[in-house]
Amino acid sequence: MRMFALDYARPAQECEVTAAPPYRYDPSLQLNVLDDGRVAVRDRDLLRVLGATTSTAGSKTHFDD
Amino acid sequence: MTVLILTCTQDVTADLVVDRLDARGVPVLRVDPAELPGAVGLSGEFGDGAMAGTLSVGDRRVGLGALRSVWVRRPGVPGSAAEQASAWLTQEASQALYGMLRGSGARWMNPPEAAYLARHKPWQLRLAQECGLPVPATLITTVPHHARDFARRHRDLVVKPVSGTHPQDPPLVVPTSRVPPDADFDAVALGPTLLQRLVVKRADIRLTAVGDRLLAARKEVSPGASADDVDVRFAPSGHAWRPVAVPARVAEGVLGYLEAARLAYGAFDFAEDARGDWWFLECNQSGQFAFVELDTGQPITDAVAAWLARPAPRR
Repeated sequence: MRMFALDYARPAQECEVTAAPPYRYDPSLQLNVLDDGRVAVRDRDLLRVLGATTSTAGSKTHFDD
Repeated sequence: MTVLILTCTQDVTADLVVDRLDARGVPVLRVDPAELPGAVGLSGEFGDGAMAGTLSVGDRRVGLGALRSVWVRRPGVPGSAAEQASAWLTQEASQALYGMLRGSGARWMNPPEAAYLARHKPWQLRLAQECGLPVPATLITTVPHHARDFARRHRDLVVKPVSGTHPQDPPLVVPTSRVPPDADFDAVALGPTLLQRLVVKRADIRLTAVGDRLLAARKEVSPGASADDVDVRFAPSGHAWRPVAVPARVAEGVLGYLEAARLAYGAFDFAEDARGDWWFLECNQSGQFAFVELDTGQPITDAVAAWLARPAPRR
């Protein structure tokens, strides 16, 4: 027998955001940038595709969805 | 005067606000507490009846007295990226950082002690009730016969984590899930279990509150949706989030909630039933907002940036 709620759990990998996003943090700008130097968040289509702003993004380390 | 943002480097939602503050010409310092000590430096001296301190990252440096606001977004655990990380170092780094920042006079989104309390779901439910927001019948229990009795009275139930967190060993997610009518409740004795009457919803509502500004969005439940897909975060949906007006009674309740909780920011989740009533589910004191803004075009980033850019109170 295990905790009641665990009967409804799913593996986390089904829901994780892409592990290696196509941007990196630039300390001089304090922003994430794409390989071509553009600021990543100005590409709204990319944000949608990556799901990095969804309500489950960061759930692994933070409990505020 | 500088806006301090405490968050991890991967947080692209923070990027939206940094970019907006840059455009407004507001100085920003972005710090991940995980990197204290290391890339982040902190120093504070108490003497002659005053405290003078500085916080730095790379070649950026700000005096603690020059902070207008602090946004606690997705901060790493203090000291966790240090070469000699330990639980004790985390305590030391956390006390030094938050203790000094708390004495800086800056405005907080959200104050750490308020955020700590606001994360407790049972407290959220009680506060929502006190603020006049409808709350579905809920039971949190470790007593199996209490669970059985609750299930008899309310029949259609969902289960969700009390803490809002997910198990990490192994990594799992626990979505809000429908409980079958023949469920065996013996296992609630193994850990506190949150059972709630299922709200048969026609839409999910995400209401983002920034100061006294309320921006609500609605996502309709697809006509062919499975009755078991109750958690909007994990359910397939053909509908996008759309802006929706906030009913006056809900607005009053939400503003009362924020004031009582001493929160400058809150992301409220409601379920809209067939009559159009909004049922309070939870308030995430640092909930995500960009996914709503991407769909609706609502100016949530602007609202956050504007709140942070306001001057610090006089001391």
